[in-house]
Amino acid sequence: MKDTKKAFTRYVWRTLLFMASYVLLNVSAIAGTVDHLSLPTLWLYSALVAFPIAAQIYVTLSLVRDSDEFVGALMAKRMIVAMGLTIALFSAWGFAESYAHAPHAPGWLTYPLFWALFGVTSPFVQSTKR
Amino acid sequence: MINSVRDLRISYGWTQAELGARVGVSRQAIIAIESDRHDPSLELAFRLAAVFKRPVEEVFTNAFTSAQSPSGTSQ
Repeated sequence: MKDTKKAFTRYVWRTLLFMASYVLLNVSAIAGTVDHLSLPTLWLYSALVAFPIAAQIYVTLSLVRDSDEFVGALMAKRMIVAMGLTIALFSAWGFAESYAHAPHAPGWLTYPLFWALFGVTSPFVQSTKR
Repeated sequence: MINSVRDLRISYGWTQAELGARVGVSRQAIIAIESDRHDPSLELAFRLAAVFKRPVEEVFTNAFTSAQSPSGTSQ
């Protein structure tokens, strides 16, 4: 039998860890601490940002695997909804940038956008059925 | 899926958390089954039927036994 409570506690702690790493990397970049770094180091720093994101996807998939069938299915459904909306919105914005002179939105915004949409849509995704 | 999980649980005097612990799922899963927001897997349906000491069709109404095939044509 799966211990959903334990799986969820593990998910929350791991999420806090990787979210904090992601925020720290972004805040330090916005604060200008990376401005003096060499180009290869900046490339490395950019790649480093992907680590907490990839880790977070693993953490979420672990929750789906380790929790009961309802919590796992609901989490997967919420992820799909949020990811779909993120791709749709960012694609629309990209087209607007290319053809409608919209201001540039940096690609790294997709991750915070995904979580914002996850938070906004989750209260409306309460069923695994429809 | 129409089910009598809530009525049976109350008749046994169990909370949703207690029933969840007996069948190995979270309280949220029991709430979702009772409020028709989740159709349980066959395994979970059998677990629920077992703790209630009833046949699974007494806990979950089979909507396909009224002379209807899965494709919707009469047999």
